[in-house]
Amino acid sequence: MSPLLRWLGAALLLAGAAFFLSDYHNDVYRKLLLWVTLALSYNFLFGICGQIAFSHFAFYGIGAYSVVIFLFQFHLPFPLAILLGIALCILFALAVAIPSTRLEGFYLALATLALAQLFIVVLNEGGAVTGGPGGLANYKLPEFLGTRVRGPWYTAVIVLLLLGTLAVLWRLDRSWFGRACRAVRDNPEVAAAMGVDVARTKVIAFTLTSALAGIAGMVYAFVDNTVNPPIFGLDNAFLLLFMVIVGGAGRHAGAIIGAALLFLLPFVLSPLIGHHHVLVFGVLVVAAILLQPRGLVGLYDALRRHP
Amino acid sequence: MPSAAILEVKGLTKRFGGLTAVSSLDFEVREGEILGMIGPNGAGKSTTFNLIAGTYAATQGEVRFAGEPILGLPPHRIAARGVMRTFQHNRPFGGMPVIDNVLVGAHTRFASGLWAVAGGRALREEAQRRKRAAELIEFVGLGEPPHADVATLSFGQGRLLEIARALAGEPRLLLLDEPAAGLTLAECERLAGIIRGIAARGIAVLLIEHDMHFLLPLAHRVAVLNFGVKIADGLPEQIRNQPAVLEAYLGSHAAT
Repeated sequence: MSPLLRWLGAALLLAGAAFFLSDYHNDVYRKLLLWVTLALSYNFLFGICGQIAFSHFAFYGIGAYSVVIFLFQFHLPFPLAILLGIALCILFALAVAIPSTRLEGFYLALATLALAQLFIVVLNEGGAVTGGPGGLANYKLPEFLGTRVRGPWYTAVIVLLLLGTLAVLWRLDRSWFGRACRAVRDNPEVAAAMGVDVARTKVIAFTLTSALAGIAGMVYAFVDNTVNPPIFGLDNAFLLLFMVIVGGAGRHAGAIIGAALLFLLPFVLSPLIGHHHVLVFGVLVVAAILLQPRGLVGLYDALRRHP
Repeated sequence: MPSAAILEVKGLTKRFGGLTAVSSLDFEVREGEILGMIGPNGAGKSTTFNLIAGTYAATQGEVRFAGEPILGLPPHRIAARGVMRTFQHNRPFGGMPVIDNVLVGAHTRFASGLWAVAGGRALREEAQRRKRAAELIEFVGLGEPPHADVATLSFGQGRLLEIARALAGEPRLLLLDEPAAGLTLAECERLAGIIRGIAARGIAVLLIEHDMHFLLPLAHRVAVLNFGVKIADGLPEQIRNQPAVLEAYLGSHAAT
C-alpha cells in the first residue's frame, strides 16, 4: 500500500469513528486526539531534540486564548485571527528559546517553567481581555465559507490536525534536520564538530513544536467553547512529560501510546480508586525511568527481539 | 610536484592561565599529504587539534584553511568549510543507527532547506546521501549492516565509524586524533590502508599519533611536539634518528 493511501485510510478510519459515538464519547475522543497531537510535538522537542521544556502546554493555551481574543474581543476575521495566533506563538517561542538555548539545558527548563507560570498570572490578571479567573466562554466557532463545522465533523477536523502534525514531524524526523536534533540531544559538542549549528537547531525545534502546540490550542478552543486559566496549568505540562516518558521518548509511537494510556487510565481507575489514580501515574513514571527508560515502545522492542 | 598547502598554521599559541600548551607553532599540510604529529603526552597535540577545529579559542597566531583565516570561527562553520575530525575516544551518537551517524557527518552537504524537506528534490537528495553513506561504511570496512545499533559495535569498529562519519562531510582536511590507540595490530594495519586511501583521494590528513611504529611508515612528513613547541619537522626517516626526538621520547640518557 502506498504511503498516501495509508495516511488516507488512517484519516477515514479515525474520523469515521466519530460518527458512531455519542456526544459524550465524542467529547472524550476529541480530547484523546488532542492529547496525542500535543504529545507528538512535545516528543519531538523533548524526546528527539532533548530539550527539557515545560512551556508546551502553555503554548497550547496561548494558541487557544489568542484565537478567542482575536476573534471575539477584537472582532478580527477568522483567517487573520488564526495567522496572528500562530505569529504570537512563534514570537513567544523565539523570545524564550533564543536566550535560553545558548545556555545549558537546565536554564531552558527554568525559563519555560517561568513562562508557564507567567502565562497563568497574565490570564488571571488580564481583566476584560482574558476574562480573568473565569476565562472566556459563550462563543461559537465562526462560520467559514458559509458553514459551521460541528459535531462529528469537528472531530474530523481534529483528526486532520493530528495527522497533519504527525506528517510534519515524521518528515522532519527523517531529514537532515531530525538527525541534527538527535545529534544535539546525544552529544552537542560532537554535533558541532560535524557541522551542526547547535543553538540554531535548538531554537528552530523549540519554535516549530511550540507553534504546533499553539495550533492544537486553537482547535481546542472550540471543543469546550470556553478557555480558562486552570485548564492550562502546570499539572497538564507535567502530564504531557509523563505521557512521553511512559510511552517512550524519541519515538512517535511512544508519544501516541503514552498519551492514549495516561489519558484513558483515569476513566478506568477513577471509579475504582477515585483521585488516587495520580499515584498510579507517579509509580508508572518512576518504573519507566528506572526499569525501561525507552518506555513502553522500548519494552515492546525488547520483547520482540527476545521473545 | 608538491601540491598547494591547504592548511597553514603560523605562530599558533594557546595559554591556559599560566600554562602555555602550544607555543608559536608553525606548520602546513598539503592536499593529499599525511602529516603526522607526534610527541609525548601533554606535548600540545590535542590542543592544536582543538584550536584548528574551533573548539578552543587561540591566544595568538594565525590558521588559514584554503587561503582563508578560520581562527575564531565556531566549530560548525569550520566543519562546513571542509575540516572534519575524529575524536580520540569514540564518540558516536548513541541514539541512532550506524548509517544515521554517518549521515550526521554529511549535515553541511545537504542543499535542500528546512521548508523543502517534504519536496521531491529533498527526498531524492536524502536517498542519494543515504547511498553515499552506505558506500562510506563499505569503504572503511565496518562490516556491519547500515541499520545496526551503534551500541553493538566493537571498539575498533567504533573507530572506523568515526572516520566514515568525518568523511561524509566531504572534507578537504581530515583531522585524526590518535586513530590507532587501542586497536589490535591487525586493525592498525587495516587502518593504515584506509588512511592511505583517503590521502590518495587528495584529502589532506593531519594525524596525531603516540605510536611511532604506526606513524612513521604511514606519514609523508612528521612534526614532533614537546611541551607545546615544535622540536623537529621532516621526513619520517630523518625524524627517527634526531637527538631531540629521542630525548623527548626516551629521556636525555638516550640522546647521549
